[in-house]
Amino acid sequence: MTTAALSTVQLAPGQAAWRRFRRHRLALAGAVIILVLVLGSALGPYLLPFDDTYIDILKRFAPPLSGAHILGTDELGRDVMARLMMGGRVSLSIGIVAMVIAMAVGIVVGAFAGFYGGVVGAVLMRLVDAVLCFPTIFLLLALAALTEPGLITTTVLIAATAWMGVARVVEAQVRSLREREFAVAALAFGSSNLRIMFRELVPNAIAPIVVAATLNVAKAILLESYVSYLGYGIQPPAASWGNMLNNAQIYLTSAPWLAIAPGVAITLAVTSFNFLGDGLRDALDPRMNIP
Amino acid sequence: MARYVINRLGQAIMLLVIVSAIGFAILHLAPGGPLSQYAASAQMTQEDLDRVTKQLGLDRPLPIQYLDWFGRMVRGDWGRSYRDGEAVLSVIGSHLGATLELMATATIIAALLGCWIGILGALRRYSLFDSLATVGAMIALSIPTFWFGLVMIYVFSVKLGWLPAGNRETVGDGSLLDLLHHLIAPALVLALVETAMWGRFMRSSMLEVINQDYIRTARAKGMPEWRILTLHALRNALLPMITVAGLQFPTVLGGALVAETVFTWPGMGRLFLDSIGYRDYPVVMGILMFSATMVLIGSLLADILYAVVDPRIRVG
Amino acid sequence: MADETGRFGVLALRFGAPSRRRFIQLGAGAAAGLSLSGSAFAQVERPTNPPDKPRGQVIAALSQEPTVFHPLMPGIEVDQGIWWQVFSPLWFIDPDGKFIPDLAREVPTVENGGLSADGLTWKIKLRSDVKWHDGTPFTADDVKFSLELINNPDFRARSRVGHSLVKDIKVVAPDEIHWRMEAPYSPYMSILGSLTFIVPKHILEKVSDPNSSPFHNAPVGTGPFRWGERVPGDHILLNAHAGYHGKGPYLERVVFKYIPDLTVLYTQFRTGQVDYTGLQGVLPNFVQEAKTLKGRKIFVSATSSVEHIAPNLEFGPFADRAVREALYLAINKQAIVDALYYGLPTQTESFVPQQAWSFQQGLPQHKYDPAKANALLDAAGWVRGSGGVREKGGVKLEFTNSTTSGNAVREQTQQLLIQDWRAIGAAMRVNNMPAAVIWGDFWQQSKFNSVLVSVNFMLGSDPDVTPRFGSGAIPAKGGRGYNTYQYRSPEADRLLAEGARQFDLAQRKATYGDLQKLIRNDLAILPLFQGFIAEGVKEGLQGFRPNINTSINCWNIREWYWT
Repeated sequence: MTTAALSTVQLAPGQAAWRRFRRHRLALAGAVIILVLVLGSALGPYLLPFDDTYIDILKRFAPPLSGAHILGTDELGRDVMARLMMGGRVSLSIGIVAMVIAMAVGIVVGAFAGFYGGVVGAVLMRLVDAVLCFPTIFLLLALAALTEPGLITTTVLIAATAWMGVARVVEAQVRSLREREFAVAALAFGSSNLRIMFRELVPNAIAPIVVAATLNVAKAILLESYVSYLGYGIQPPAASWGNMLNNAQIYLTSAPWLAIAPGVAITLAVTSFNFLGDGLRDALDPRMNIP
Repeated sequence: MARYVINRLGQAIMLLVIVSAIGFAILHLAPGGPLSQYAASAQMTQEDLDRVTKQLGLDRPLPIQYLDWFGRMVRGDWGRSYRDGEAVLSVIGSHLGATLELMATATIIAALLGCWIGILGALRRYSLFDSLATVGAMIALSIPTFWFGLVMIYVFSVKLGWLPAGNRETVGDGSLLDLLHHLIAPALVLALVETAMWGRFMRSSMLEVINQDYIRTARAKGMPEWRILTLHALRNALLPMITVAGLQFPTVLGGALVAETVFTWPGMGRLFLDSIGYRDYPVVMGILMFSATMVLIGSLLADILYAVVDPRIRVG
Repeated sequence: MADETGRFGVLALRFGAPSRRRFIQLGAGAAAGLSLSGSAFAQVERPTNPPDKPRGQVIAALSQEPTVFHPLMPGIEVDQGIWWQVFSPLWFIDPDGKFIPDLAREVPTVENGGLSADGLTWKIKLRSDVKWHDGTPFTADDVKFSLELINNPDFRARSRVGHSLVKDIKVVAPDEIHWRMEAPYSPYMSILGSLTFIVPKHILEKVSDPNSSPFHNAPVGTGPFRWGERVPGDHILLNAHAGYHGKGPYLERVVFKYIPDLTVLYTQFRTGQVDYTGLQGVLPNFVQEAKTLKGRKIFVSATSSVEHIAPNLEFGPFADRAVREALYLAINKQAIVDALYYGLPTQTESFVPQQAWSFQQGLPQHKYDPAKANALLDAAGWVRGSGGVREKGGVKLEFTNSTTSGNAVREQTQQLLIQDWRAIGAAMRVNNMPAAVIWGDFWQQSKFNSVLVSVNFMLGSDPDVTPRFGSGAIPAKGGRGYNTYQYRSPEADRLLAEGARQFDLAQRKATYGDLQKLIRNDLAILPLFQGFIAEGVKEGLQGFRPNINTSINCWNIREWYWT
């Protein structure tokens, strides 16, 4: 049964996956939205007549659709649309890069721990436990205090607080799968350990990994706002969705669009990543039937 | 099994020692110190500051300070807060109740609601319910807590006047009804994200299971659907949730921290944040050790439970 | 206001708007403090009569948590809010700047024989009708004990400045105490007056550890309110002390509620859960709206701190006076005050608060003039290089500016400065940090380029700023003061030394006037505006009287009452 399933994937993995993915409408929508957000952030600023850091104190708090400012202006009279786009560059790259780092570390640690078990597994998983022992905020504050704030530091900091969950999920999956027939079979065929780990076992954990990964992008984008909140992270005048949302807090009643714009951007981005992940999981997991 | 547990306990204690050393080092090496707050206010001269530094023993070499602190901690003396002079354990104790009240309420709501939504979503995959739940969960997960909390306060307290704008109780009242009235908004805000998490994990776990061979086999053998669900699917699908629950603990604490700030809730999260801000070393270390212990116990219990319910895993 | 405040407590330390230790001249008690009377800040409402017996309660919100209840230990402003209610000083300074006796029967002066002409012998007559909250009578022994406790080497005293000079304390009678000063030290009058609360001997003499005892979390004092209960992280409840020796109290209960987030604090004031918003008060952007709220009143009062840009004068470009002047000229101060602070504060050119007797009128007024700034830099040899940034002799006109992170309005000010200064070819970068980091070595040891900060420069109400501008007060150079600007000027040193020797008020005013002109001319600091705080009070609550001579405006809750 399992061997049959495996062989199906090996026959036409790309095509089958793409077919399954296409059927997932929400995922497609997510992918499109992400594409729009990415393109908008990358190219948008060149199309706008406003600079994201240009202050016009006389025009502060202009509501959306007033004059040339589509999304209005902020507490310093800067164009919110321009800031949203520039902020998107920062927030999206932090979210995605931090997730990639966290996933890579988490998968490797989890796979090794689950596969080898014994001392290696125990040491690695205790390391995971040790890091998990530190509340996220403590890790963020403590590590941030030792470094210079900035884009790269923020990304690494966020990744450093996010890899443990994946490691655990992967470890649990690999541990429970490695004893099962197909791993044993693969071993019998003379495959190397690394190959078994990352070609046979880890792919079996792809569903939880993808779910965790998508949730992690969400978390990373949100964490970015908390890092800003705590005083490290993206320094003004550069914009990020997190610090825009953060700054908008005290104007929630008087200028709600300042909070709504980055809030919607974050929600859209995060939601889209989640849908995308959903679709990917369905597409990549051959054992699932699409009804 | 007993050997396994003892083994793990031993590892846990080792781990606590390592965590304490790392935490102590990071905390003391981070710039700033407990006297910064007085230093800038010019209320105390440099001479006064030096004297207090000495009186607090902060002028000694770091390893000595650590060993001193560690020695006392093992003997049950966790030191005293630099801020209010209370014993660290009693400081933690006085904030713990508020956090537990909030966390327990939110987690129970989230676990029940999340599992229900997740299971239903998986069984009726791509139905209207599933789509709504999925979209809802995604949005819930992407709303920053502090923002959502403020909106809640604005709508339900300022505009509608239904709920209090924060606080755990009305000073001088403190009846059960009053407590519950204050609990609604922060618990819901906390539960929102948690429910989404539980729902997502439950759904994917359930989907995983109902596509397994043994379920198909059971179906092929003509076993009634409800029996398949309760006997095989649910049992196996709940299995990974144990790990989820174990992992949830630190995130709940983090979420509580934000909710506690917005809703003026006198809990551990606020205490921790304030203590870090004031560099109240003994309290920060105390909370770190406390939460580390909790996390370790949680993870140990999760592993043992996992081993008990999943016969495929052999321990020892 | 809007001092180093964040919305998370982590950032919410109110640094830089600090102590107001009083410094007066011997025998010139009337000129003790700064006067707010006649200003727009005084409460306009005609007071009705207070009730015959204590009635009702007040919930006072604070954005930091009071945690230190022993009034002689290190504490911050919000702690003083509690001390004022639970304890009493020997005398205090009222909003008009006058010393008012409290535990003492009269304020000692040379005229009434309380002080010897050389300022060395002090004879204090005490009230004999004062009782501690537990019923024990208050006597001169308590004063003696308090002063000795401060000098006890095992005790973590907040400060021994002045106290360490006190010798030969003699209790002459239960209501009279004498001592000798090792050297004449006039500020001691105000140190005793506004920051030295007397603690009970009969309780504290029995504790084994003076730094931690049950008293520390259930203090017993002689103040208008008794300790009720404390819920850590949430609130402190005080009850009226029926046997209080002074006026009041007219309230049954006072609850100090800790609300870390300023938006939430204002919201709770708006919804009515809070009767009074103490430190940090109402954020400037809410003030306009708050004034329109029904049943709420907003008081905007000056504090004695000055919001300014602190340059590190040893840092490259700032060493050049032309640069400082050009930067100052290029600041659109009006925009900062009017737009970012909603016109609430008053612009200033001096480090002395405008209410003080020593304030120098007619200092050169700041003018926003980027063209002149550009010309000045051109003339000084700073030429525009790549990217429009000026440089001179290999030194680029670039620097960082730091402030407490999380302070929204300060961050806005910084961004305005970036733009203003870019126009004259100066590149500023923001480098903000949490309070515990920035006010540590970074500030103390002058590791910054420039800082946006609010500082109370006065030594009490006295303009002796030797610790701030004296060349021997630079911590980074081993000095014992707070001259983190690293300002060094022989002329300033001369004026400072002269002012400290002078005893005639007019002479001192002239000396410190010259000093203010010098500092303004040297631009040792780039002053922006005088500090302020906007506080909300529910209508019907009478007696709120802002006092620039105290660190916290809820100093006199004993006189508050509901109509």
